[in-house]
Amino acid sequence: MKETLKLICFNFIFYVLFIFFSLIGIPVLSAIVAFQSIFISHRNGMKKFRRAISWYGLVIIKALPYPFVKVIYEDLDKTKTAGPFIFTSNHRSASDPFLMACLPYECVQVVNIWPFKLPILGFMAKLAGYLSVREMPFEEFSKKATGLLNEGVSIIVFPEGTRSADGSLGQFHGSIFRVALETGYPVIPLCITGNDKIPARGTLLLRPGTIKIHKLSAIICDEYKGFTPYKLKNMVRQLIADEIEVMEGKRNA
Amino acid sequence: MTEQEIIKLTNQVFEESFEIEKEKLKPEMNIFQDLGLDSLDIVDLVVALQNKFGVKIRNDDRIKNIRTLGDIYKFVLSLKAEGASPSL
Repeated sequence: MKETLKLICFNFIFYVLFIFFSLIGIPVLSAIVAFQSIFISHRNGMKKFRRAISWYGLVIIKALPYPFVKVIYEDLDKTKTAGPFIFTSNHRSASDPFLMACLPYECVQVVNIWPFKLPILGFMAKLAGYLSVREMPFEEFSKKATGLLNEGVSIIVFPEGTRSADGSLGQFHGSIFRVALETGYPVIPLCITGNDKIPARGTLLLRPGTIKIHKLSAIICDEYKGFTPYKLKNMVRQLIADEIEVMEGKRNA
Repeated sequence: MTEQEIIKLTNQVFEESFEIEKEKLKPEMNIFQDLGLDSLDIVDLVVALQNKFGVKIRNDDRIKNIRTLGDIYKFVLSLKAEGASPSL
């Protein structure tokens, strides 16, 4: 009974704050960026806009659900590789796109069709240059992704394409790995655990917990040169699967 | 070409194009869920099969119904039986 009450309070407070912060924060941040953009180049304007989206995301995932939900981000990459990067992450929850705000880089995400249909957030994602991979042929996706990478913008992908229903790692789609092979930009695997129920698939109910995000070492071009897209995507998938098992205590590091 | 030869050559395509271990290549394996191929890999697969068997299959609608490795064996067998026109 006490736990249920706690859960109701947590969700009520979170969603009230979420709506309140979105209604205030999005217009304010947008107005600030729009005003600054008058005096700076389009490229710098976009950089500021994407940074504002990251700030918004950080508030949503770190501040609003605290202390019920804690987010621990660990950078395990010791390679000191220069960006931009192609980030590939496992996907268990609707909170994953927000969690990407932990990455200290200018990023755009590759999304499915439905996030673009979300009120306000979908519009902002479109403005920020997020890529709806299912609404364009591969050639167009590749061209746009390459253009962003060449501008110095990192790309975040959830290659399973959809949230996992049971927490297991699904098969990967290969589009972004083809872009990696074409462009030679480093690929960084990301592993997220602990968010299976924050919220679980098919519900908006948030449960308390600790979310861990591990950024693994960059896989540079020399390491995957000559691979087929199939081989590269499965190599990255295996790295993510292995790290998730370590994070969940199913195997030793 | 016998059924066994077709199975052997099809498996070779999977080993060469995707580096999938021989042990995984069983007729009941779903090429998407078990072997992890995606729509772009299917394009590569079609090209590799065309080259291996000397047939044209790019515009064949039956390819949309393929789910398992066994379906591919059957598909190639039927193409060979129909005497599909050489592509090369």
